[in-house]
This record gives sequence, structure tokens and C-alpha cells, in this order.
Amino acid sequence: MKEQAPGTARRAEAAELALRRAEAEKLGGAESVGRHHEQGRLTIRERIAGLVDTGSFQEVGKLTGQGRYTEGALTGVAPAPYVMGLASIAARPVAVGGEDFTVRGGISWSGERKKGGQGGFVEDLAHQYRIPLVNLIDGAGGSVTSIQRRGYSVFPGVHGFERSVELMGEVPVVCAVLGTAAGGPAGRAILSHWSVMVKNTSQVFAAGPPVVERSLGQKLTKEELGGPAIAVDTAGTIDNAAATEAQCFAMIRRYLSYMPQNVWELPPVADCGDPMDRCDDALLGIVPESRRQPYDMRKLIRLVVDRDSMFEIQPTYGKAVITCLSRMNGKVVGVIANDPKVYGGAMDAKAARKQTHFVELCDCFHIPLVFLVDVPGFMVGKDAEAAATLREGMRSVYVGLQATVPMYTVVIRKCYGMAGMGATDKNGLDLKIAWPTAEWGSLPVEGGVAAAFRRDIQAAADPKAREQEIEAELRSLASPFRTAEAFGVEEIIDPRETRPYLCRFIDAAQGRLRTTVGRKPRYGVRP
Amino acid sequence: MARLEAKTDVTGSVWKIVTTVGQQLAPGDTVMLIESMKMEIPVVAEEGGRIVEFRYAEGESITEGEVVAILEG
Repeated sequence: MKEQAPGTARRAEAAELALRRAEAEKLGGAESVGRHHEQGRLTIRERIAGLVDTGSFQEVGKLTGQGRYTEGALTGVAPAPYVMGLASIAARPVAVGGEDFTVRGGISWSGERKKGGQGGFVEDLAHQYRIPLVNLIDGAGGSVTSIQRRGYSVFPGVHGFERSVELMGEVPVVCAVLGTAAGGPAGRAILSHWSVMVKNTSQVFAAGPPVVERSLGQKLTKEELGGPAIAVDTAGTIDNAAATEAQCFAMIRRYLSYMPQNVWELPPVADCGDPMDRCDDALLGIVPESRRQPYDMRKLIRLVVDRDSMFEIQPTYGKAVITCLSRMNGKVVGVIANDPKVYGGAMDAKAARKQTHFVELCDCFHIPLVFLVDVPGFMVGKDAEAAATLREGMRSVYVGLQATVPMYTVVIRKCYGMAGMGATDKNGLDLKIAWPTAEWGSLPVEGGVAAAFRRDIQAAADPKAREQEIEAELRSLASPFRTAEAFGVEEIIDPRETRPYLCRFIDAAQGRLRTTVGRKPRYGVRP
Repeated sequence: MARLEAKTDVTGSVWKIVTTVGQQLAPGDTVMLIESMKMEIPVVAEEGGRIVEFRYAEGESITEGEVVAILEG
């Protein structure tokens, strides 16, 4: 049969579709987009294009919005303030979406079905297809004007948040705050495995300056209330800060490169081009002769893991502990290391909270954990007690003891008390290796002698000298080699052997990891 | 000439002042050592500069975030 040229009706339909798509591309209109750009922000379409593999975005729901009609004929469409769909990052599918701030400030739009934000199609897509979800958040949440529009006030919380919670146990969820996020969108940002915001152009808070001024009389700018100095560095509400939106997208791509597509798979193995038997001589001199001097733990990590594979999570929060995703012989690992430059590595409440989250993250996605230990214990002092260091610390110990992913303990220097125990794999193989500089116990000798030998010291002619004498005697017995004799620690290694030793075990654990994928159940009550 | 502040990251006491007023420091040089948690934690001049004054003497207690020295750079 001969092919017919399309008739008038078909041509009209095609033209209407083209018009509707063109209207969607215009977002909130040239003027609104111009204002948005002037504030140093990209539009949602530019953001998605900047994030995903070139040309990989397949939009879903492009026609959503409010049509304008003259005598029944379409003249234009005000698009729904949310753009989303399916795309690829490093050739792997992801669900991606974000508010369009240029349309009425990105506030909620109500259609037959939600597109995204909190739940909605984009989150159903991540759930049903078991692919990562990336939320590009730029919305202020609810507005009281909706009462006028609806004629009634809505009960707080929308259907969809339960999906957001469900996703936390299923697929990687990344949230980027790319504008001012308050209320629902701010809450949505927290329900993620990793979050990031952009310096100078992003803020996040439960409520913004006008509400704060009315409630408490405090006059604060958006930046003072919820810029990265508060949200990232002080509160840890958001994990990382990026200098620009472009850097933010690069960081999201990087983060996802360490993640499996879902909890039923393992993270991708990358050819690292770094020999697994590399023994770096710099490791030998990294720990100073004096126990009182700190050293550069980040440098130590870089010398051990695959070259250029270190990606730090929460680098500016809870700084007594360093948490980073890395690779060892191409396999993804999570590294948790104490930073002796920050209170000698003592675990304070913030560091404990950071460690708790990181252990859960790695356990959820079957990423083995490497502890590089130099911890004198929990942080002490009145401020530390008031901050509930003990509770936060024990919570991190509890979560560590519930985790089932393989863990490796490398004691670099100090390993004391409950915080030291939190760095071990009591449920698993409990492989603990140590450098010759290691020391351990229930508490450091110098802290314990005065209390444990009080009478002996007080009775001495020279109490100070007696205390030092006892300290020296105990310290001579505290050599890690003596513990190794008793197999209380599995191995003492030359610091240069750290990488090959760990790589062997991490490689060998892959079979165990492959056969224990899936959702991780969470029983019990966290302390 | 910008006025620069060197701040302590930790609460503790001033252990040793390893520089003198008028001394020129390169970025990352140590200004003084703070004793905290039985460790000697350095306060560094992040951007470098010339030391104008010390706010604390050896042995004095300091709190996390406090300015311990003023530099000009």
C-alpha cells in the first residue's frame, strides 16, 4: 500500500505537540530565567544537562503544566515546576529530577500524579527499576497561599515521603541543594545517602529568616541561618559543599562511581592502574617519634589506597574522624581514620555521628570498611559530656557491631577504650593488624596510673617520681609485639606492607560479598 | 596589609610559642603548640604573614575557635 502524506488532523496534532514541548523548554519564561541566571544559578534543564551523560536525558512528563486556551485553541502552557526523567551517569541509568525555580519559585504543583520532590514518579522509577535517584533541590516548600487556592488547609506530610524512606534501603539517593531549601524540600535533602550544596548560592533550613524573626526575634540572613558554614561545617545537615554548580555535578558523578546501582548488586570494580603490592616508603616515617606529635592522616590514607581514589565524605564536620570512599585494587572500600590533629583523634559527638552514618552507608551498599586507628578514646570534659559524646559514641559502636560487611582494623598508633572497640569487626573475621607504633588498652597508661595506683603513689617519698616509674614499667609491658605473641592481635606489619596485606583480604572477601547482597534488616533500638 | 587571625582548632592550653613577634611566616608554618588531650597540636599560619601579637602566653587556657595570634600579610 502506498504511504499517504499526513492529513490535516495529524499535522495539527504534531504541531500541538511541538508547541507544548517548546513551551516546556521555556520554563518560567525568559524574564524569570534571566533573573535566575543573574543570581548565579542554572535552570533545572541546564542542571540535568550538566550532570548526566551527554544526550542521555529522556524526560518524562514534559507536557505537564497549565495550558492557556483561546476559544478552545492552545496558545501556551505554564509548565509544572518540576522536571524529571531517566538518564545515564557513566553509562548507568539513574532517575533524576528537580524543582524548576523559575516557575513560581519551584513551589508544589498538583496534577493527577506527582512528578517528584517527595515521592512521585521519579522516586517510583528509582524504586521499581532499582536505579539511583538524584534530586536537584531548589524549592521553598509549602506556601500559605495554597489555603486560598484549595479552600482548606492540608494535613502536614504528603504521600510520597514513605517512598523516600523506602529508597534509603534500596538504591543510592543523592540530594543536591541548589538554591534556598526550606520545609519539605529541606527535609527531602536530608533523606539521602549523600548530600551536597553549593557555596554562596544555596541555603538549607527548617524555616527561613522571616519565620525566624517572627518566632524568636533573631534577625539573620539566609546565609547566616543555613549557608554551608552552618549546614555543612557546624551541623553536618548536608555532607559536602561545592564551589560551583559544575563542581557539584562532578562530585555527584564521582560519588555514584563508588556506588552499586542498588543493594542487590556490588559496587563497580575499576581498573586502578596502581599495583596492589605497591609498598610506599613514605609510610615508614609518617608516625613521629614522639607520641605527643600529630601527623597527616590524609596523607597516610592516600599512600595506602589506590592512587587518586580518595573521596572524602563530610570533610569539614566531625573532623576528629576522616571518612572517605576509596578503592583498593579496584574494589570500593570505605575508610574510617582518626585524625590525630583534632583532639588527638578523640571521638567527640560529631565525629561519632559521622562515623555512625558512614558505617551504615557502607554496610547498606556492601562496601568493606577499613579502620585506620589512632584513637585515645571518647572525647573527655564537660562540653563533651554535655554533647552526649558517650551516647553518640556508643551508638556508633552499636551500629558497627550490627554491620555485617567485612571490616579491617589497622592500628596505626593509639587504640583505646570503647572508641577503639568501635573500630573492630567483632561479628566477623575480626582481623586486626597493627603497625609497630601501635599501643592499646582500656585506657592510655598516663591517664590510668594516677587513679589505679593512688595509694602506692601517695605513700612514696617522691610521689611524682613513683608515678613516672609505674608508667614506665607498664609501658614496657604494653609493646604490641607482646600482644601478638598471645594472638591478641592477628599481625604486626611493616607500615609499607599495609596496602598489599589489605588488598589480599579485600580481594578474597568478594565472594562473601557477592553471596550476601540484598537489603540489610535493622533490628533493635539504637542506644 | 591584611590583618590575619590565627585560631586554635582545639581547647587546651598554650604549650610552647615557637615564634616571636615580628617573625615572618610562610603559609602553613606553626605559630604555637597547644596541649590538648596530651598531644601537641600546632596552630598554623594558614596564609603566612608577619606576627604582630600573641593573645595568650605559655600555660594559659584557650578554647576551640579562639584567636591566639594576629598576623599581617
